[in-house]
Amino acid sequence: MDDYMSGSEEDYYYYDRESFDGLENEGSESQWAPSKAPSCKVITKESLLAAQREDLQRVMDLISVREHHARTLLIHYRWDVEKLIAVYVEKGKACMFAEAGVTLVGAVDLDLPESSSTVQCNICIEDVLLSDVSKMDCGHCFCNNCWTQHFIVKINEGQSKRIRCMAYKCNAICDEAVVRKLVSKKHPDLAEKFDRFLLESYIEDNKMVKWCPSVPHCGNALRVENDEFCEVECSCGSQFCFSCLSEAHSPCSCLMWKLWTKKCRDESETVNWITVHTKPCPKCHKPVEKNGGCNLVSCICGQAFCWLCGGATGRDHTWSNIANHSCGRYKEDGEKKAERAKRDLYRYMHYHNRYKAHTDSFQQESRLRETIREKVLNLEARDSKLRDFSWVTNGLYRLFRSRRALSYSYPFAFYMFGDDLFKDEMTKKDREIKQNLFEDQQQQLESNIEKLSKFIEEPFDGYSEKQVMDIRMQVINLSVITDDLCKKMYDCIENDLLGSLQFSIHNIAPYLSKGVERAAELTIGWSTQAGCNNRCQKADDQANGGTIESDQPSASGTSDDSGHSTWKRARKESVGGGLIDLNLPAEFIDRID
Amino acid sequence: MQASRARLFKEYKEVQREKVADPDIQLVCDDSNIFKWTALIKGPSETPYDGGVFQLAFSVPEQYPLQPPQVRFLTKIFHPNVHFKTGEICLDILKNAWSPAWTLQSVCRAIIALMAHPEPDSPLNCDSGNLLRSGDIRGYQSMARMYTRLAAMPKKG
Ligand SMILES: [Zn+2]
Ligand SMILES: [Zn+2]
Ligand SMILES: [Zn+2]
Ligand SMILES: [Zn+2]
Ligand SMILES: [Zn+2]
Ligand SMILES: [Zn+2]
Ligand SMILES: [Zn+2]
Repeated sequence: MDDYMSGSEEDYYYYDRESFDGLENEGSESQWAPSKAPSCKVITKESLLAAQREDLQRVMDLISVREHHARTLLIHYRWDVEKLIAVYVEKGKACMFAEAGVTLVGAVDLDLPESSSTVQCNICIEDVLLSDVSKMDCGHCFCNNCWTQHFIVKINEGQSKRIRCMAYKCNAICDEAVVRKLVSKKHPDLAEKFDRFLLESYIEDNKMVKWCPSVPHCGNALRVENDEFCEVECSCGSQFCFSCLSEAHSPCSCLMWKLWTKKCRDESETVNWITVHTKPCPKCHKPVEKNGGCNLVSCICGQAFCWLCGGATGRDHTWSNIANHSCGRYKEDGEKKAERAKRDLYRYMHYHNRYKAHTDSFQQESRLRETIREKVLNLEARDSKLRDFSWVTNGLYRLFRSRRALSYSYPFAFYMFGDDLFKDEMTKKDREIKQNLFEDQQQQLESNIEKLSKFIEEPFDGYSEKQVMDIRMQVINLSVITDDLCKKMYDCIENDLLGSLQFSIHNIAPYLSKGVERAAELTIGWSTQAGCNNRCQKADDQANGGTIESDQPSASGTSDDSGHSTWKRARKESVGGGLIDLNLPAEFIDRID
Repeated sequence: MQASRARLFKEYKEVQREKVADPDIQLVCDDSNIFKWTALIKGPSETPYDGGVFQLAFSVPEQYPLQPPQVRFLTKIFHPNVHFKTGEICLDILKNAWSPAWTLQSVCRAIIALMAHPEPDSPLNCDSGNLLRSGDIRGYQSMARMYTRLAAMPKKG
């Protein structure tokens, strides 16, 4: 590892490549089965039409039907084109059409002899001119006046998506073009409403598309391709769990998160005291304020102690000492005298305390961003061979990302090993083993996060080049390690813990090294790739060229070199804006305001 | 003129014409309110309602015929789909299966059909529904016949 001391550019880059290999892999799809990497698109007001048209076109092409029939079919099958095709193949066209209310052949032919210039409308029982009646696909024919009244009533009732024919027991859905034409003559605003309802059906009736939950609403919807259990970021910057629309909360399952937030709300009074900003020094009992992101604090009396449990960490504490300090581990204490309620509260407070400590660190660390930027500027101003400081921002990013995973792992553990959810699914013994396994991982992650935090906090802009290189090594190594530990923790949760449950199904969003996936703009003109299935992501990537590539770096399809540089470019861009948008917990964002 | 009024007026004229054609139904419009109608229908033969004459009350909404009229029995009737106390009728065409193509006259025909073919699975009259569902056809029929005699037949003597 002496390369970096040699002066040549080549060596420097060689070193850079090598050390970043671990990081570079972060985004590589080789680590995640393609089906696991959800690809997400933002649908804006403008692109909604295009998004919908794409699916309509596919169905129109596949089973050769007109647009309003395709729409009726898609609304019936909740915009699930795959499902529609499956029904089509399995049950045949006629059956599928009947189920969805699409009538192609006139069931009843009410055509009157051509010679007659008037016809009686069965609704108003008036004789009307042939030019004043409309016939639907089902063959039923009524006067335009009656149709219009019928449409107005149905649109006002909110039934735009399925306006049926007026004839008794006729299941046919009215031709939207006729609805539009007739209604707009009398009530242009209502016709607009009708169109909006039809358009929004694409979002409201579609399992894979959801409105962005931002308040005030940004007007966007997001569409995921494969898996609804994922975390996404809208182009407006808000990040959320696609499945339950609350803040991104993995590795908690949606149910766990729902229970947890409710519990925190309900018991906030009881545990308020625990979230105060100071803790007494274990030696002199003076209140000590936490001022850095890491959880080792030291009192002015010289005593160092652990912020999480308040326990002294010894005179000669080091970071490896803290690592061994068994603080993240909560031992269900055997105090049999303590009433159950009290124990429950204790247990809750233990987990809440850790959860809170890490979300608070989060807040401290986000302040770090400013100092980090200064430090990088200082280093850049120095006349040095060191040019690339992306390791600083990458390390900071990794710190945020893993701290976040860690903080949400506490509410997860609270429910996983508590009595609320899975009491009957694990034996006591089984639970204990699993809890130990998990807490070992959690602790390892925790200690490495603290180490990473400590190195990043150091005033290295004042250090010698050699020292800076040392810190650089540490930060890079620890970044790789924490990323890896996060990955392992998610794996353990998914496979060994949640995966082993017999009765309950809890899904968590997959771990992504890069953090919450930012949704790409849905490019208009997509529909030109008619026939391309949602799932052929590779074709998409190619068709959309660079935009997708930088958004979702992929090892496949691009050569190593270009892949590397693309990744780097993306990373550097994210130094400015990207890092600010990290998924901070809602309460943190609240406090900033 | 209001669409519903016009349509009811048409129906009124139709009714006058069909009076002879359908002797089982006698539809009468309230003298002062075209939105209130009453009907006298004959209990279908080969049913426990045979020989009875049942009075129905119609209340027609402004949105008619886009929305269904409200109909109830004024004559007491023992039938699984008719509320014994209020006379309300449980019939799909009076709810979500309504079509503007129906007329008051055709609604009467549908009610006569319902009298002949009760739907014990959506009962408004639980006793009668239970009798039918438990297979006690004779019990149901004798109760229905008794009420027909008591309420729907002109008093003899
Ligand atoms: Zn008409
Ligand atoms: Zn029809
Ligand atoms: Zn948004
Ligand atoms: Zn969720
Ligand atoms: Zn002290
Ligand atoms: Zn620190
Ligand atoms: Zn501790």
